[in-house]
Amino acid sequence: MTLKTVGLRKAFGGVVAIDGADVEFRPGKVNALIGPNGSGKTTFFNCVTGMIKPDEGSVRFGDRDLTGKAPHVIARAGVGRTFQLCRTFPRMTAIENVLAAVRPGGIWHGLRSAHRRSETERAHHWLTRLGIEHLAGAEARNMSWGQQKLLELAGVLMAEPKTILLDEPAGGVNPALLDRIGTLVRELNAEGRTFVIVEHNMDLVMSISDHIVVFDRGRPIAAGPPAEIRADERVLGAYLGV
Amino acid sequence: MPNASKSLLSYGVPALVLVAAIAVFPSLAPNPYILSSGVIVLNWAVLATAWNFVGGFTGYISLGHGALAGLGGYATGLLITKADLPSFVALIAAAVLVAALAVPIGFAALRVRGASFVIVSIALVLILLLVFQSWSSLTGGSRGLVVPRPFPGMLRPEHHRVFFFLYGGLLLIALATWWLLDRSRFGMGLKAIREDEDKAESLGTPTFAYKLTVFVISAAFTALAGGLYALWFGDLDPVFQFSVLTGSYVVLMALLGGVRNLYGPVLGAIVVGIALEYFKVEFGNTPLHLVTTGLLLGLVVMFMPDGVIPSLTTLVQRLRKREDSSIREMSAADLAEQRREREAANS
Repeated sequence: MTLKTVGLRKAFGGVVAIDGADVEFRPGKVNALIGPNGSGKTTFFNCVTGMIKPDEGSVRFGDRDLTGKAPHVIARAGVGRTFQLCRTFPRMTAIENVLAAVRPGGIWHGLRSAHRRSETERAHHWLTRLGIEHLAGAEARNMSWGQQKLLELAGVLMAEPKTILLDEPAGGVNPALLDRIGTLVRELNAEGRTFVIVEHNMDLVMSISDHIVVFDRGRPIAAGPPAEIRADERVLGAYLGV
Repeated sequence: MPNASKSLLSYGVPALVLVAAIAVFPSLAPNPYILSSGVIVLNWAVLATAWNFVGGFTGYISLGHGALAGLGGYATGLLITKADLPSFVALIAAAVLVAALAVPIGFAALRVRGASFVIVSIALVLILLLVFQSWSSLTGGSRGLVVPRPFPGMLRPEHHRVFFFLYGGLLLIALATWWLLDRSRFGMGLKAIREDEDKAESLGTPTFAYKLTVFVISAAFTALAGGLYALWFGDLDPVFQFSVLTGSYVVLMALLGGVRNLYGPVLGAIVVGIALEYFKVEFGNTPLHLVTTGLLLGLVVMFMPDGVIPSLTTLVQRLRKREDSSIREMSAADLAEQRREREAANS
């Protein structure tokens, strides 16, 4: 399913954060969204995931119109996300953090035990997959920054999204973990998940993405495969001011 | 994950103690005054447990729950006096009415978070106080509303005893409901809201619907407690029914006992409820009980922000020197070592 926006616009008072953005991400690929600080990447993420309502334009996922829908509706439609400053449930254990991710279900589903075996097994599976299974019983607030980033991703994966938006997955993590995150994204992508990644670490972006969209002043100025983007003069101009 | 023996110890044993205490207290009470104090303490325990559906699960601190109890009381009284309903039918109908009314109230109040929610909840109490004082043709205004007793011929001590058991039953139902929600996916969603509402929403939790649902459940239990109070006490006055103090005491009780614990609010209600009665007897109608409760709230927030039960649990764990799972980064060598140890243990 293709995630795309048409004419998306969001202004905060006089500041236009997103200015008529037409973006189409490649389904089944690792997409990257890059651009200078303040170019509107995070606001764009927030509009797409429903955290902020756009002023104009539309967000579509496959044939569904997600414009202005509540974040939980968008999450249940299959678009998961992480946050720029990694967010977990600090006073819940790692396993509870993962179990808190919700898949569609009615009232009866809601009243069933949160610790049902099939669910906990799935949660343990994701903790193991991300290498933090040994922390299952630890509260998130006692975990290191890198571990919390992995935990956040485990929660998102638990909800079984088709497309995953990662907001600066490399922010504040050590080189070893950076490698692991890069590999993970590649593996998860190979299993059929689409990724959209906002990231400043160009090494990571260039090594894992198939398709890159470059933002400047609230709109895309270039899009294409890494090799093409690297050579694009508009991109160099936006980043380096040349 | 809570295993069977742990949950039996932390839920089952206290439940048995509580049931036994409720069963024997009326026969042990030396005089009707002590028995009536028991009814008051149980009323607080139900109110605090009902409050904890919202405060404990979602972290929304409501100072307005006194108003919901007041509404429950007045609705029960008015349904008996004006609509001629039998007492206990009126009680149930009042709870349903208040629950229905909680939908629009929650719809407005739960849109704001943190301090704003606290202020909105206080406003609810003050608005209802004005309405019930001014609308004297219906409510009796400041003259009060006399609620006929459900058991007209019954002597006072027996009356207290019956209501002690009614409150005890209501408390057990409230606790059982809280426990059911606590272990459910719905409860997990509510706790996620307490931790980080936006994050919960982004993981697929319909946060507003969840908050509203649990607010309505909380309102229903609060109204039942308020309605029982009306039937027991027999006289309602807006100044006492719609008082910010009621909500404040309830918050103090829940915080004191521990809002993340099933029995926290009950424990808090027993401590604070008894203290309030003691102050009234010893010092009469002075503001001393207010000073003391203020001090107590300050002490709890400063030294036991999680409440007595969690603080004691942590202390016991520390004394046992139980090792918590380490949060150190695991290297591949550590993991291999762990695996070898597991395999060695299995073989």
